[in-house]
Amino acid sequence: MRPISVLFAFIALFLPQLSLADASNDRARGLEIATEADQRDSGWQYQSSDMEMILRNRAGKESRRKISSRQLEVEGDGDKTLSLFHEPRDVRGTAMLTFSHGLEPDDQWLYLPAIKRVKRISSRNRSGPFMGSEFAFEDLSSQELDKYDYRYLQDESCGAYQCYVIERIPLYENSGYTRQIVWLDQAEFRSIKIEYYDRKDELLKTLDFSDYQEYPGGYWRADRMEMTNHQTGKSTTLLWFNYDFETPLKSGDFNKNALKRLL
Amino acid sequence: MLGIFALASSLSAWADVDRQFELSLQGQFFPGIHSGSSDVREQFFAGLEAEFTSDFDSDHLIGTFLPYGRIASTGGEMNHADIRELNLLYTADNWEAIGGISRVFWGVTESGHLVDIINQTDRLEGFDGEDKLGQTMVRASRLFDQSVLDLYVLPGFRERAFLPSDQPLALPFPIEDGKALYGARNGQQHVDLAARFSGYRGIIDYGLSWFNGTSRDPEFIAQSNGTFRPRYPLINQWGLDLQLTRGSWLWKLEAIHRAFETDALTSDFSAGISGAEYTMYELANSLFDLGLLAEWHVDSRDDRATVPLQNDLFAGIRASFNDTQSSEFLAGVFSDLDDSSSSFRLEASRRVLGDARITLEAQSFIDVDPNNAISYLQDSDFIVLSLQLFF
Repeated sequence: MRPISVLFAFIALFLPQLSLADASNDRARGLEIATEADQRDSGWQYQSSDMEMILRNRAGKESRRKISSRQLEVEGDGDKTLSLFHEPRDVRGTAMLTFSHGLEPDDQWLYLPAIKRVKRISSRNRSGPFMGSEFAFEDLSSQELDKYDYRYLQDESCGAYQCYVIERIPLYENSGYTRQIVWLDQAEFRSIKIEYYDRKDELLKTLDFSDYQEYPGGYWRADRMEMTNHQTGKSTTLLWFNYDFETPLKSGDFNKNALKRLL
Repeated sequence: MLGIFALASSLSAWADVDRQFELSLQGQFFPGIHSGSSDVREQFFAGLEAEFTSDFDSDHLIGTFLPYGRIASTGGEMNHADIRELNLLYTADNWEAIGGISRVFWGVTESGHLVDIINQTDRLEGFDGEDKLGQTMVRASRLFDQSVLDLYVLPGFRERAFLPSDQPLALPFPIEDGKALYGARNGQQHVDLAARFSGYRGIIDYGLSWFNGTSRDPEFIAQSNGTFRPRYPLINQWGLDLQLTRGSWLWKLEAIHRAFETDALTSDFSAGISGAEYTMYELANSLFDLGLLAEWHVDSRDDRATVPLQNDLFAGIRASFNDTQSSEFLAGVFSDLDDSSSSFRLEASRRVLGDARITLEAQSFIDVDPNNAISYLQDSDFIVLSLQLFF
């Protein structure tokens, strides 16, 4: 056997291991980046905000929703969220309480003000549209670290920033996505862009974050998010207002009784 | 409390009062009523509900005033007004209390509400019994981590208002309105008591309730002149409601046991509704969600002649289109399992004109056995079309 073929045989023998080692490195790196981003957005304890949603169909016709929400960070579990709908006005006073649990199904209740009824609802429908928008429930839900498997892809410039690009694969059941590609800026680990790939692994949507503001405690929030559906031509803009990390909220503000007394 | 509302209405506080209005326009059509009949074949309503709320610049207080009124093309008793709410709610860390007129809903099932008992049903408003009159109450609630204990003191009993006899959905016998009889010696002045312990644990939501006082459901006592007088007996009622929420399945149960005072015409009974709802989300990769639901109603009185839902099955479908107009409908059939009686019911709604809502409600009494409690509704098929506008 000539030395050169010995060399090829040697390479052939070790190539798979080499790429495996690479793959596990990429996974470790991906998890490391996601963990850092998660760490930087931990410890806020509570927050509240107002949101306006602008839905646009393919013809550019707009409709709007207004929602205010409160969130409580829960140590060792998913966040608790209370959302109150203001517009469209036919659903005003409707409120939703969610206790998220990472990989386990969330607990969710809906308050219907017309008959003063609180209904426990199924949280099975993660991939369904939120209020007819291009955001699925899973896009707006509490983003726990353990909900995805991560893989580092590359460094890349993204607009004004230098970004890490990571791929994340949902581990929770009933996701509408095979994978997501996330661009995080290297300085502050903020999400700059997310691409969503549907169950057929085709590019479905892109979410762009802009107008980041820094709040006390070093928490960054984008004032504007733009979700574009490439398959339908529809889009949804989220505008965020009145972020408040100061007004204290406690566990007692997140129960079925609280649903009925929101103003 | 009235003093506080007087204060709230003073000019300086008025700016802090959140004001919302709902104008509803409704047409009711009864295609089964013959042109020669003296019964109403169609009628139109305009209703206004206002809601004023204020927190009085406090973290603990919320005041609510919710008057409702409507005028009817048929006039008379069908013109109708009610104070649905006028109350003050105080909230603290782990308890809250409310005083005034308010509404309370208990229960989990869709095709009937057995456990729900605090408020009198507003029969002038809707056939499904979901419209309620305001009830005077003091409620004190102790909030625990995953449960709540509510205690109620309920003065000021309210009689049921009955539809006038020319209304197709009216009871089939003449009622002497305003001449109600009571099981309680002090009649309408009797103070009722109620309590409920409710909460959740994992996938289970539960409620155990107790009511002691004047029944919201009247008995009818035949008079020598051929009319009937409503009589409201004293009752002691226990109620249980349970829901299991697991994946795409909701499993539901409501059960009551009602015991009557000795003078009552009715004897003690138990009743239950149990059922399930299964939802197929994003059917065939669309945005469309389709739910299948079935609920079985059972009543220990087992008398189909007097109890409409004594052994009946409701089977239906719920559709959510998940479009920007939030279009949805619920359609189903009530079938009596002891005879051939059945009725079809449809509720559909859709957002229009930005933020108004259009609703269609229809019920058809397809086949009605002459010995069934609903036999008088034979020709009373109805279609109700409503438009709600919000300001």
